[in-house]
Amino acid sequence: MIDWRAVVMREARATGAADLDDHTAEELATHLEDLYQAARARGAVDAEARGEALRALRESRLAMLKESRPNLHRTRGLTRVSTWQSLRSGLRQFRTHRGFALLAVLVLGLGTGASAVVYTLVDGVVLRPLPYGEPDRLVSLWDTNVQRAVTHEPLSPVNFMDYRALPVFMDAAAWWRPDVNLTDPGLDPVRVRAIETGANLFEVLRVRPQIGPGFPVGGPHFGGDLIAVISDRLWRTRYGANPGVIGKPLVFSGASYTIVGVMPPRFDFPGEIDVWQRSRWDFHQHSRGAHFMEAVARLAPGVSAEQAATALTTLAARLEKDFPSTNRAWGTRLVPLLDEQLGYYRPALIVLFGAVGLLMVISCLNVASLLLTRALSREREMAVRTALGASPWHLVAQLLAEGTVLSLAGAAAGLVAATFALPVIVAHTPVPIPRLAEAAINTRVLGFIFASAMVTTLVFGLVPALATVRRTLTTDLKSGDRAVSRASRTLYHALVAGEVALAGALLVLSILLVRTVQQMTEVPTGVGNPAVMTASVQLSGRPDTDWAGVAADHGAILDRLRQQAGVRRAGASNFLPLEAGWRGSFGIEGQPPARESEAPQAQHFSVTDGYFESIGARLVAGRTFTERDTATSTPVVVVNELFARRYLAAGQATTAVLTTHMTQVGPLGRNLAAGGRFEVVGVVADVKNMPLGQANEPAVFFDARQFPFRTMFLTVEAADGPAALAALRETLRAVAPGIPLTDAQTWDQRFRARTAEPRMLMTVLLFFGALAAILATLGVYGLFSWMVALRRRELAIRVTLGARPRAIGILVLRHGALLAAAGLAVGWILVRASERALSRVLFSVSAGDVGALTAAGVLLLAACLGACVPAAIRAMRVSPVDGLRAE
Amino acid sequence: MSPRTAIDEAKKGSAEILILALVERRSLHGYEIGRQIEDQSAGTLRFTLASLYATLYRMEDRGWLRSRWVEKPGQRRRCHYRITDEGRKILAAQRADWSRFIAALGLVAGVKPA
Repeated sequence: MIDWRAVVMREARATGAADLDDHTAEELATHLEDLYQAARARGAVDAEARGEALRALRESRLAMLKESRPNLHRTRGLTRVSTWQSLRSGLRQFRTHRGFALLAVLVLGLGTGASAVVYTLVDGVVLRPLPYGEPDRLVSLWDTNVQRAVTHEPLSPVNFMDYRALPVFMDAAAWWRPDVNLTDPGLDPVRVRAIETGANLFEVLRVRPQIGPGFPVGGPHFGGDLIAVISDRLWRTRYGANPGVIGKPLVFSGASYTIVGVMPPRFDFPGEIDVWQRSRWDFHQHSRGAHFMEAVARLAPGVSAEQAATALTTLAARLEKDFPSTNRAWGTRLVPLLDEQLGYYRPALIVLFGAVGLLMVISCLNVASLLLTRALSREREMAVRTALGASPWHLVAQLLAEGTVLSLAGAAAGLVAATFALPVIVAHTPVPIPRLAEAAINTRVLGFIFASAMVTTLVFGLVPALATVRRTLTTDLKSGDRAVSRASRTLYHALVAGEVALAGALLVLSILLVRTVQQMTEVPTGVGNPAVMTASVQLSGRPDTDWAGVAADHGAILDRLRQQAGVRRAGASNFLPLEAGWRGSFGIEGQPPARESEAPQAQHFSVTDGYFESIGARLVAGRTFTERDTATSTPVVVVNELFARRYLAAGQATTAVLTTHMTQVGPLGRNLAAGGRFEVVGVVADVKNMPLGQANEPAVFFDARQFPFRTMFLTVEAADGPAALAALRETLRAVAPGIPLTDAQTWDQRFRARTAEPRMLMTVLLFFGALAAILATLGVYGLFSWMVALRRRELAIRVTLGARPRAIGILVLRHGALLAAAGLAVGWILVRASERALSRVLFSVSAGDVGALTAAGVLLLAACLGACVPAAIRAMRVSPVDGLRAE
Repeated sequence: MSPRTAIDEAKKGSAEILILALVERRSLHGYEIGRQIEDQSAGTLRFTLASLYATLYRMEDRGWLRSRWVEKPGQRRRCHYRITDEGRKILAAQRADWSRFIAALGLVAGVKPA
């Protein structure tokens, strides 16, 4: 028996057609055997018959078979490649290249995991509708003041009643926030967040209590009978979830309320509220100049937010004309409720989502470029596959299958990472992001992950596939040609340049946030003693009319506090820095009385002696308050520098007399100085009395004994934090045993909390930026190593022709610098293009900040050059002999 | 042009119509196709192995033929070639072309159909 196939292959090898495919070899072998058998059948002996067959073979030019049909599915019937086979082959590929597969899955898992977490947060916090009836019809209302450049001020209750009457609103509810001490008999006193609200709040939101009737539907919105609704949280923690709580008394602010409802779980509108008390007073009976209420409104059917805004603007303009003294420069705007509730987090999460999207793309590009280099180095393999009968489609299917395997593995890794990371992130977020606790991986998130896996599959599979297939079709496979087509090289460069550009954008972004946090923390607050301990105390038990008693109680607390061990200074104020005081108009004696409509306004604070000293505010002129300033002594005030500069003549700082008509602030505080004449006795340096990013306002400080408030913040300077805290606790236990100490923090902690949101965004973005830079650096490293390996021959020739190694090193580095510069330029354009979205998370820094661009540029350049160095060194070591060896 | 090359040139152009005509009625394997062309032309038309299979592959690539491996007990498996619908169209067109060509040859060069 003759092995005709072996005969064919031998002949093929001898005539330069060694890679004859299976099918052809088989067919030729059959043909030869038929020739042989036919000869034998004619009577030829074995040797003759064999000679005849061999002659037929030798007179053929086998090489022409190879050229005759490069595109034919030669393997049909022999090896039909199924999707499943491709996938299995893909798996096999990665089993034999574990390191590569692990790296790719890791990079992808990182990208997918980070995107999945951020998408989950965006989905849970931003995209999910609020848990109220038709939540997208709800808007919150805020006053604006062009003169003061404020856009987010509370409303006056009287103005609110006018807004509410507009037909563009179906209904509107307003409230204010008097925190209360619950002092029910038989239970521990506790400070809770409460609002005093119009009774229609729950109707506006369309939420019903889970237990009890709630506030009477349809009104009245205020009333003398005291009723309150409590939160599910309070009901469970304080009343043991007892359904019999309805009708029970709830004692706070020296009065007994009746509990008429328990709200459903997780309902805490407008934010961490435990007690909703129905208003005791008519919103009409107040001042148009007092801005302290918040409001939510439901748009009337068919009315758009824009129409409502227009109606509000028209109304505000009319009110401004009718009541110039109180309404001049004031306007009103509305904000969709969801935006309002999310505040900073909506823009922050959107920026974060954009950033993580960039990171995801970078990791995809990174893996795509990895696959591309691998595909280019696998050209021989692809050539063999083609020779064995694989069509271009088979090759594409093969590479797509490998891409699928990779991206599915990456997506799975990302999903696992996200599942584990999410609870940790939710539990350890340093700031209270609204609705964060409800963020969970759901079908939408899974869909997101799946979709991103699909996209990455296409990118991973197609990019190298197209590069390879193009090449396979155009290259002479036998030649061992090492040149790589221009197109592949350009593609690789583009992938890496893309990575560098996106990393550049992320770096610029994260540095902008660093600058933001820097700017915020550098804002002068006027607080010279950041270690001062602050805590809020609300006196209760005194009847509403006994204001001298309230002042005396506070005095007693301070006296006791100052006697505690370690306490150096102690004082109190009704507002802490960064918060605005009560705004009111005033006059200066001796200056021409302003028309009522043009009376100047200033913030009013009540502080005790020792307050300025304890927080470290600097005295500029005159004196601060002392123990000799009492309810019966000469009424005095201290003003801030801005006030003195704006309203007092030089030298008048400690001689002027200020007049005010402010006799009380609701149920909170009362001006005890009859006559309303106050001598200005001192000027203190400005203590920041507006939120960060807004300009200070003139301020008047009253003595808390002459203008007492029920709720005060105690400020204690002691040897250290624990000593201050112990002193506060000991004092309250001794002097006011029923009163809880709330919210004890050093000023530094409070200030950090104020900047916690941008700080967190900054941290996350820095992390993303660093990750992106590392990935891009890896990409650059890979590109240059590959380039140098590829151009070994060219470099060797250059060396032979006398190029100095230094010049070659510089050539490589210049290439790297160019890549970094191009990347940075594109990155910067990206950042500038998203300027609008960024403006809401940046503070005192513009998206075009040159400092941030420079810093990102230096970082990126350093990273890129660093990544080129190994390749540059290798290039410099190329010897002329290498040129020959490379062939 | 010598008479020898005339036939060579004609063979190149005619190989496809010959093969199509052979597989028009039933599928054949490569050896049968080569054999039948040689036999029916009384040895005038002969293809080398390589040119025969190169032609077959080219025709399959163009979609005129379809190949299929057939295994029979006790025999080597063979690749059978069958005409496709596309192939039939080409065959019809080529037959018409060749008829016109031969008629023209007859008129101009005095060549007569055998």
